[in-house]
Amino acid sequence: MKGLGRNVLLFTASALFLVYVLAPVAWLVSSSVQQEAEITSRPPHWIPRQPTLENFEAIFQAKEKKVTYETRRAGDPATGGYIPSTARDLVPSMWNSLIVAVSVVVLNLLVAVPAAYAMAKIRYIGRSTSIYFMLTTRVIPDIALVVPFFLFIRTFGLLDHLGSLVITYLAITIPFSVFILVGYFESLPDELDKAARVDGCSRLQTLLRVYVPLAMPSLVAVVLFTFLTSWNEFLLALMFTQTPASQTMPIVVASFASDFTISFSFINAAGVLAVVPPVLMAVVFERYIVSGLTAGAVKG
Amino acid sequence: MARIRLESVGKRYPNGFVALEELSLEIADREFVVLLGPSGCGKSTTLNLIAGLEDVTAGSLYFDSTLMNVVPAHKRDVAMVFQSYALYPHKSVYENIAFGLRMRGHPRAEIESRVKDAARSLEIEPLLERRPHQLSGGQRQRVALGRALVRQPAAFLMDEPLSNLDAALRIAMRAEIKKLHHTMRTTFVYVTHDQAEALTLADRIVVMREGVIQQIGSPEEIYDRPRNTFVASFLGNPPINYLEGTLAADGARFVRGGLSLALPPELSKKIGAENGRQVRLGIRAEDVDPRGTGETLQGRISSVLPVGSDQFLGVEVEGTTLFFRVGRELRAAEGENVALSVNMNRAQIFDSSSGASLLWK
Amino acid sequence: MSIRAGALRGVFGAPVSRYDQASALWLLAPMLAVLLVVAVFPVLYSFWISLFDLRLTRPHRVPFVGLDNYLEVLQDELFWSSVWRTTSFTLMSVTAIMVIALAMALLLNEEFRGRRFLSAMLLVPWAIPYVANGLMWKWIYDSGYGALNGLLFQLDFIDKYMVWLGDSHKTLALIANAFVWKEVPLATILLLVGLKSIPADLYSAARVDGADLWRRFVHITLPALRPSFMLVMIYETMMAIRHFDLFFILTEGGPAEASHVLAWQVYVETFRKLSFGTGSALAYIMALVTFLLAFWLIRTLGRKL
Repeated sequence: MKGLGRNVLLFTASALFLVYVLAPVAWLVSSSVQQEAEITSRPPHWIPRQPTLENFEAIFQAKEKKVTYETRRAGDPATGGYIPSTARDLVPSMWNSLIVAVSVVVLNLLVAVPAAYAMAKIRYIGRSTSIYFMLTTRVIPDIALVVPFFLFIRTFGLLDHLGSLVITYLAITIPFSVFILVGYFESLPDELDKAARVDGCSRLQTLLRVYVPLAMPSLVAVVLFTFLTSWNEFLLALMFTQTPASQTMPIVVASFASDFTISFSFINAAGVLAVVPPVLMAVVFERYIVSGLTAGAVKG
Repeated sequence: MARIRLESVGKRYPNGFVALEELSLEIADREFVVLLGPSGCGKSTTLNLIAGLEDVTAGSLYFDSTLMNVVPAHKRDVAMVFQSYALYPHKSVYENIAFGLRMRGHPRAEIESRVKDAARSLEIEPLLERRPHQLSGGQRQRVALGRALVRQPAAFLMDEPLSNLDAALRIAMRAEIKKLHHTMRTTFVYVTHDQAEALTLADRIVVMREGVIQQIGSPEEIYDRPRNTFVASFLGNPPINYLEGTLAADGARFVRGGLSLALPPELSKKIGAENGRQVRLGIRAEDVDPRGTGETLQGRISSVLPVGSDQFLGVEVEGTTLFFRVGRELRAAEGENVALSVNMNRAQIFDSSSGASLLWK
Repeated sequence: MSIRAGALRGVFGAPVSRYDQASALWLLAPMLAVLLVVAVFPVLYSFWISLFDLRLTRPHRVPFVGLDNYLEVLQDELFWSSVWRTTSFTLMSVTAIMVIALAMALLLNEEFRGRRFLSAMLLVPWAIPYVANGLMWKWIYDSGYGALNGLLFQLDFIDKYMVWLGDSHKTLALIANAFVWKEVPLATILLLVGLKSIPADLYSAARVDGADLWRRFVHITLPALRPSFMLVMIYETMMAIRHFDLFFILTEGGPAEASHVLAWQVYVETFRKLSFGTGSALAYIMALVTFLLAFWLIRTLGRKL
């Protein structure tokens, strides 16, 4: 039949798809294991001839090495290029990112799960108002929140404190979490709710003992979305953090970019480090992301 | 074990929809009451109100002599069985049955023995470790019953519990539910739109329509002495036949065109003598006999539908088609004329405009 | 249906169940509290600030200026050129996103071996932080050793290395390309969800009627996909209008003002010039525009949850 033609078409399309999606990242990874000399060759070496992990070592050892004007002028022997004075902040900043992301995830669940259950399963007065309210808050551009947040946070002395990031990230993640969860809860039968109630569950017990165990796929999706959003967020972190005490990974990595003396091999290694955790999470839990979104979107 | 009393109960939703209007009903302890009506008649709402899943918005609801108006579901001692069974998909059969006891803090050993007893009486012991998705429809239904009966609740509420089963299983389960009612000795409130379930199960039937009770009575009462055309039409298969006509001879005769039927004295006494009054005569499908004597209907057969033991005849009488159930021994063919004697002692007479019965108040 | 007076008495607006009403409020309370503090309050506060000439360089004198900040912003030529650049960035990006995402979604909607692998790989760009995305493309676009130059040179499209991001005619398009690459996956997934919800019967029926592949696409797929297509398009439009990260990493608004978009202008006003009053006015104008857009979205799609 037309099987062969279809296969050729699918194969070509798949190949184009993969090249588009993966080629830039592959090049990032490839250049992160090249030495300064190789990275500056023309035309570029697509596949490194002498792969090295020196760039990564430089990042993890940046703490021990003293970076001064002289060492920078001399060039760092480890990378054959310049490494920035902020390099030592990279690993701590990843810890900061992790702390912020985990806190946001936990608070998100505590806030979004009960709210989504109420919106999906309880017929209360004001239901549609609360749903519209929740959706419209997500429409506000992050940048419009920056000034009031900044003044607000300064008043409470939270500037340069991870707490300020946790609070503001809740604003941008909660509406989306609730949206996904409402869709999922709605797809579960109402009669389960009634059954649990006559079996002696209060509303909260119904949620915890019946709906939460059943909503695991979408809970995983919410955790992932929230984690990735917090881990990756840049704009607000740029405004509210000033010192390495609170700077998150995107801020430190971005600081490399504005320094023209830094070796690209080093920046690329940092880029790879920044990319690995979220990409691993996303690919491993791919199933949940798609199904979590599906339940929400189909209902919408 | 409880007596359930609804006094002028109303249910109005925030959007203005009125589901129930001034509904008054008293359900005796250990009684089996069936709420019967088409969808949207308020029967499920009534059940939800009794369960505490929704509040009454007018009137009062009592269990025995305790006012229950705003007591939420989890604080009422009722159990419920649902059309979709509503088993917890993530729990084993054992856990499903035990859950209600667990939530009410019964000791572990007691829970175990009660779950085992319930499982034994429903013959689902071998299934206790399975998950709901591994069960057939009938098995799920039994688990749902087990979950309710293990609690030995004050009231047992059932919301169309058999509607998802196939026909044969439904009849078998009807018998089981009846048996359950005898052994549990508690109050049953059962919601259905299926007249056969209502007639076989109920001590009393409550026929409802658009939030208003039409009639309350034993199955015989509801069937034999319907108070209006809605009740009369809702029960019976095929449904009751109506003939519009007038009263004559001081309420002793029903006349429509060339048709004139004598009413038995007991009936005409109840109607009162009002010659020329527009009435609707109701004849149940089975109340005719092809070989009988007495008052007869003459007509042309328009359809013949054999249904195994019997046959349904469509007969054109005075411009309307009536449907009757007769034995198979009558050799009938479409287009032939037929004479059927009517058992006028079982005839119903309704007011033409209001539909109210002139015989039974 | 007839309504008797008795049933009406004093029950209008009564909740379905008082217990449910109370428990719903408790369950919602944390979310409402958080959103009031982190969303509603900032929006109102932001408007309040925009009425003052608040400059961090001069923190002790904050005169009330009414709508002057708005007038100042609206009379600023840079504002209008930023609006224009934001619009063209948005149009370029959204068009490209929709075309690429639709093609990818159609591919992933087919059943073939390796489909699962493709959809897992699709999440790679989505998961990458915008900062890393920016650095990656900055390196690719690099005029000295970048991959774009290298590739085009090896393929003989160019005979010497060229300046990319530094060329004001190309900047916006190159940033848009980096933006598109990262936004395409989510758009694809959302469109795929829409595709999957089209009943297969429709296709069988069309096939029986003799419709070829193209006709099936035009007469079944496209109309059925309209709601999700609209949803994705408007979502991506809002994302493009407010986008900031890539402009910061790749060009800082440059060269000259070639990539000076609205989001960047808000940043410059507030955090470089430290003029919070005009910055807030600008942000408010942006918020209002996106708000109206979202309102239009909700109305057009007639969403109900």
